[in-house]
Amino acid sequence: MSHEISRRDLMKLLAAGTGGFVLGPWTFMSASSVEAQDAALPGTFPREQTFIARILTGRVGTPDNFNQWVGWKWQDRGMQNLADEPLWSVDFATGDIINGVAAGDPTYSEDFTSLTIPLREGVAWSDGEPFSAADVVYTVETLMAFEGFNAHTFFVDNVESVSALDDYTVEFQLKQANSRFHTTFLDRWGCTRIFPKHIFEQQEDPTLFTFNPYVGCGPYKLHSFDPQGSWTAWEKREDWDKSPTGIMYGEPQPQFIIYQYFADEGAQILAQLTHQLDVAELSADGLKALLAQASTSRAYQPTFPFVVNNDPAITGITFNTARAPFDNVDIRWALLLAIDIVEYTSIAVDSSGTLSPVHIPHLGPYPRDYIAPMQDWLSEFTIDVGDGETFAPYDSEAPQRVADLARSRGYIFPDDDEFRAKSFGLGWYKFAPDMAEKLLVKNGYSRDGDGNWLTPDGERWKVVFLTPNVLSNHGARNAAAAVQQWKKFGIDAEMFVTESQADLAAVGDFDVSGDWPAYEPWGAGPDMYRTLDRWNSSYVKPVGDRTQGHVGRWSSPEMDDIIARLRETDPFDTEAVIAIGTEGLKEAVKNMPGIPTYGYIGFVGWDETYWTNWPGSENAYNQPYTHWPNFKYTTPFLQSTGGS
Amino acid sequence: MTFVKRYLIPRLIQYFLVIWLGITVVFFIPRLTPNDPVMKMIDQMRARGSTLEPGAMDDIIEDLTQMYGLEGSWGEQYVDFWARLVQGDFGVSFFQFPARVNDLIAVALPWTLGLLLTATAISWTIGNITGGLAGYYTRKRWSKALDAVAMVIRPLPYYVFAFILLLLFAYVVRWFPITGGASLGAIPTFSWDYIKDVLWHSFLPGLSLVVLGGAVNFQIMKLLVQNVNAESYVQYAKLGGVTEDRIVGKYIIRNAMLPQITGLALSLGQIFSGALITEIVFGYPGLGMLLFRAIANGDYNLIMGITILSIVGITTAILILDLTYPLFDPRVRYT
Repeated sequence: MSHEISRRDLMKLLAAGTGGFVLGPWTFMSASSVEAQDAALPGTFPREQTFIARILTGRVGTPDNFNQWVGWKWQDRGMQNLADEPLWSVDFATGDIINGVAAGDPTYSEDFTSLTIPLREGVAWSDGEPFSAADVVYTVETLMAFEGFNAHTFFVDNVESVSALDDYTVEFQLKQANSRFHTTFLDRWGCTRIFPKHIFEQQEDPTLFTFNPYVGCGPYKLHSFDPQGSWTAWEKREDWDKSPTGIMYGEPQPQFIIYQYFADEGAQILAQLTHQLDVAELSADGLKALLAQASTSRAYQPTFPFVVNNDPAITGITFNTARAPFDNVDIRWALLLAIDIVEYTSIAVDSSGTLSPVHIPHLGPYPRDYIAPMQDWLSEFTIDVGDGETFAPYDSEAPQRVADLARSRGYIFPDDDEFRAKSFGLGWYKFAPDMAEKLLVKNGYSRDGDGNWLTPDGERWKVVFLTPNVLSNHGARNAAAAVQQWKKFGIDAEMFVTESQADLAAVGDFDVSGDWPAYEPWGAGPDMYRTLDRWNSSYVKPVGDRTQGHVGRWSSPEMDDIIARLRETDPFDTEAVIAIGTEGLKEAVKNMPGIPTYGYIGFVGWDETYWTNWPGSENAYNQPYTHWPNFKYTTPFLQSTGGS
Repeated sequence: MTFVKRYLIPRLIQYFLVIWLGITVVFFIPRLTPNDPVMKMIDQMRARGSTLEPGAMDDIIEDLTQMYGLEGSWGEQYVDFWARLVQGDFGVSFFQFPARVNDLIAVALPWTLGLLLTATAISWTIGNITGGLAGYYTRKRWSKALDAVAMVIRPLPYYVFAFILLLLFAYVVRWFPITGGASLGAIPTFSWDYIKDVLWHSFLPGLSLVVLGGAVNFQIMKLLVQNVNAESYVQYAKLGGVTEDRIVGKYIIRNAMLPQITGLALSLGQIFSGALITEIVFGYPGLGMLLFRAIANGDYNLIMGITILSIVGITTAILILDLTYPLFDPRVRYT
């Protein structure tokens, strides 16, 4: 018997197939299950006991993998900021270094080839097992044993042996002198963290271990996560008092903390306006929009400039000193003197940045230890502009001029020296186009009839400013301001916006870029090693190869000598460290490999509907970001409103 | 047999050739961009404070290159790649190491398919039905009203339109959530509560796609119907006393549908590329953002995995359309 399928039957089959195809994924989505998760339904978290923040680094790509020692695991989704305790962490708001699972500073041998670290007693992992020196020893030995760990090479290169002198003291024997070895454990948005021996020792290959659920010494433990990576929820440990956070600061207040992914700024603003997001991190315009609409939201500062201006990074302009004419210090200084910093910061950040004349930001201990003590030197510092003439470029009045412009535009803020210094800095450089002209003429540059600058070859001088394609970030903001200033001065300057900014900068394929002009300092303590060492000549690679130091590729024998002396100095000898660090900063100013402009500023909006007592500028008891590792130290100070 | 010899076999050869060529091009293009996955990972780790001594960088680069399977020439990598691919293995994601590309796609794909298949099917159906009727009954008031609405909606940039929907329905009247594919705390389970939650979260993204897609289909179908309506055989049918329902259904819409069926097949094939802007505006999970992140980070294996799906999807859709076209257009015969 045969049965022919008619066209009509076939069409019906096709329609049915299409219907199944359409409905199938919905069923699959619902049916997919998650390892080690309890089924939970919408509304599991009581809002008045729940704190909601944003995942800074985007949707989590590896939601069920918490092994942050291998590759990149989105640790700002609560791993580093809630569930983990490092040995130490930096608090850039107070300038202090906070002991986590360490009980104090490390002690180095005189020749820096060994050190001992005291550990805090009474700490337990979130599964109840006690934390001890055995965990530290096991972590280091395991990192050295498996090549897949991020820190494998560092420890193999540096560590001869590691041992527990007792349950709470660890000793390292190093392969060569290294006075900064301990900083690998110092958390500054990342460090070598300790993992629990009793869990990792059960794994055949710990680099493939997913470490789910995460177990740490922090005050929170993993509650659940979205298999799509949209959110990760953490719950307060019952034994929070066995975490260093609990021991030092008391009971964390939120019962649940959720880190949620927001794909764009608009969604963050809407979420906070509807009280579904306690902390929003926005652009300047986004923060303005939020504050204009929300009666329950506040910014870091209660008055202008509103912004978070104590981030440990200095923004500005980086020159490619491996490419002419930026290899010439006169040209670099000429480009600096062609900038009117008042206009510049007005364009870049609406006059809200804190100026710094040196290659570190004006925050924490740095004004006290470096920027203020360097004022006399800066005032006396001169540059040779040719024909035997010198010029003193420093301008201690620049911050006042920035403040005056902001006030003239209607912003209201305190008018006292302390506020001005904190918000606008202690000084910057003069706007001196005449001196910039002399420096350029000294080097064979000239102007055409229209006032445009010509190179010594008679060509129109073109400067291309490399910048990333996220135009709200500070690299692009500095680029826009600098290009405007240099165009006004007669240079054919333009922005080159590209997705590949970081790659092009790394291989030296640029003139000028918006990379930070110096590597970020620790943000706490006086040690400048982290910043200065990136100008080490041994890291500089030829253009075309990825450089290992700062992308500006600048170095000098004098700076090499300063770095070498710093390496031989005890990092806890404050006086000696500041003296050498000051020398390093002076060497950078003299050579100006990049122009420091204003400290990094963030735009944070806090909703006070459910939680108050934020670490704002008037009460800066901790750094203000929820993605930073020491956010956990804020949790005991938050106050619940009960949603009233 | 004539059909098999003269049409099916050459068409299948062409099908596999296009897929091979597409995959080969996609294999080499990411390697020609300045995005080096090893350096991207190092940059990411360095930017995030991991311990990477500048002096030890060469060793770290070597370790990561080995770990990612990027050793050897492009030719050797190409051979290795095909050896894996024939076993259905796209390898590991570099940026989301050690997650397997197959797993990442398996997690994101149902969301993309669920949203885009539904939205495409609804917008195509509604757009064509309303467009067809509006094209025939051009003088009716409702036809003019629909046309005016489509004229306003269609030129709107998708991002703007989607954000307006979000503002209206998630903020002003607060009927729908602002972001995400499901509620905070909702864990995937095969339960009505979870399905309801997913549908609730998918409504606005789906609506944005349906309305804009529907407006496009409406306008195209309306024009097609107007053209067919002016054909002499339609006029002849009217004069011959054929019922209006039959004229609209059998004479006009059926003929006008043909280009729309081709368009539907292509739309279905393109679904595998995801809907990046929808995913950004509504924070919806899916392949679009996964692909965007893979490209930005030079994640060759993940780029390959998603684009291969897309290449196979589009070529298969066209193949099926070619083979089934006689069902829709009896004038086409492969004999």
